[in-house]
Amino acid sequence: MKTKLALAIASCMLAAPSFAEVNLSGFASINGGKVLSGSGVPQFGIEDPIFLADYPIVSTYDEEFSLEPESLFGLQITADLADGLSATAQIVARGANDFDAKFEWAYISYELNESWTIQAGKKRLPLFYYSDFYDVGYAYVWMRAPADNYTWQIFNYNGINALYTGEVGDWSLSGNIYTGREDDESNKLLSEFFFGEPTREIWKDIVGGVLQASNDWLEIRGTYMTYTNQRYRSGEPVLWDGKDEREGDFYGLAVNADFGNLFILSELNRLDLGGKLDTRMLTVGYRIDSVTPFISYAEFEEDSAGGEEHNTTSVGIRWDFHPAAAFKVQYDNVNDESFDLAVAGDSEAITFGIDLVF
Amino acid sequence: MKRPLLCIAVAFFSVNAYAGVDVVIHPSNTNDINANVIKKLFIGKSKSFADGTKAIPLTQTANAPITGEFNERVLNKSATQLRAHWSKLVFTGKGTPPKEAANDAEVLALVASNPNIIGFVTSGSADGSVKVVQSF
Repeated sequence: MKTKLALAIASCMLAAPSFAEVNLSGFASINGGKVLSGSGVPQFGIEDPIFLADYPIVSTYDEEFSLEPESLFGLQITADLADGLSATAQIVARGANDFDAKFEWAYISYELNESWTIQAGKKRLPLFYYSDFYDVGYAYVWMRAPADNYTWQIFNYNGINALYTGEVGDWSLSGNIYTGREDDESNKLLSEFFFGEPTREIWKDIVGGVLQASNDWLEIRGTYMTYTNQRYRSGEPVLWDGKDEREGDFYGLAVNADFGNLFILSELNRLDLGGKLDTRMLTVGYRIDSVTPFISYAEFEEDSAGGEEHNTTSVGIRWDFHPAAAFKVQYDNVNDESFDLAVAGDSEAITFGIDLVF
Repeated sequence: MKRPLLCIAVAFFSVNAYAGVDVVIHPSNTNDINANVIKKLFIGKSKSFADGTKAIPLTQTANAPITGEFNERVLNKSATQLRAHWSKLVFTGKGTPPKEAANDAEVLALVASNPNIIGFVTSGSADGSVKVVQSF
């Protein structure tokens, strides 16, 4: 599927010179950091402190300064074939994956009318507010979208997406409805971090919707998604209540308010997989010309005794030192409250870097 | 030593204070176009005029003073905020930033030739080939 799609897009582009306008754009982040102190997870044999900066990509810092875990380089190619038809591919090379370049997005897009656009192919799964532009550090204030909230295993999906734009009075509306599936033969988060054995993660029968309303200063986003999960650890199906699949429902609400200099970002999410996994985030920032200090709190809580539970308090500064580049520095203090389901233990870490777009 | 810097600062501020921005459309375009409509079109929140016809916003080069003035006064966003906003849309397949014209003359020529285009020029530079709908 992936290869076919990539080929289809490549052939569109090869045929392009006489028909299409091809645009190249991109983004890059060069980030570095280290753990200042922390507990590690002795019960799982991790004696040294680590800071898990993000879950899906498994960016981990330890006590040695490193530029690898969160640095990335992304290139987007869009071929505009006129009359509303376009093909887009996004290739991202991540330090966390030894800068192996991979297609993260590859889709064709057709504008039906001024309100509706249909897209098909490989896209980012739009669960959270920042999912879609998770890789584009320049587009947000922190070093990264709050890790406790963005604890997803499946990052992208293959499917169809209908995108809507409209207006009601002074409110602008946008939204999408999507369906598809993802079969991740070797899921990085589960294989490398949680289970320590090859894990195949399947999310199928994905159906979801997003509705976003915004006016001059307020933005509200609501989302729902349902899917069926299957998992194989070292080739053996994982059973939940004796069954080899389980249903998941995801609910999300994000509210952002921008008062000019002061802004507030918030997000509330629930994943219901039989048991409930709740995540919450609140950020307050203040723009002083090109410098934006911010403070942020995010938490993850599983609704069961001894379940997974962790939170992070962060403070940082974004400095827009160049029209297309920002310098950021952030201090994170992680509390891992669980024992049996501990993730990476407590830690304090400092990270900094430069994000740019072109 | 400090004086030249001060002069530059004064010159810079006076440019900001005294130039103005005229928003222009094709003379045949009879849609009601207020500041809010302009803002929505130029930040990608709406794609058509009130009567449903497609709107094509046209900006000027990013480093032209008139562009900075339009962004600050009409869109109420700094160049950085605007770039962050567009990078959100561009890299998620949700929008494409307006095309850039090289100068006022190019904006006037393009607007005069296409009823779908909406652009902006330095105050007073519009001629009879276009219609000024708002001045900032």
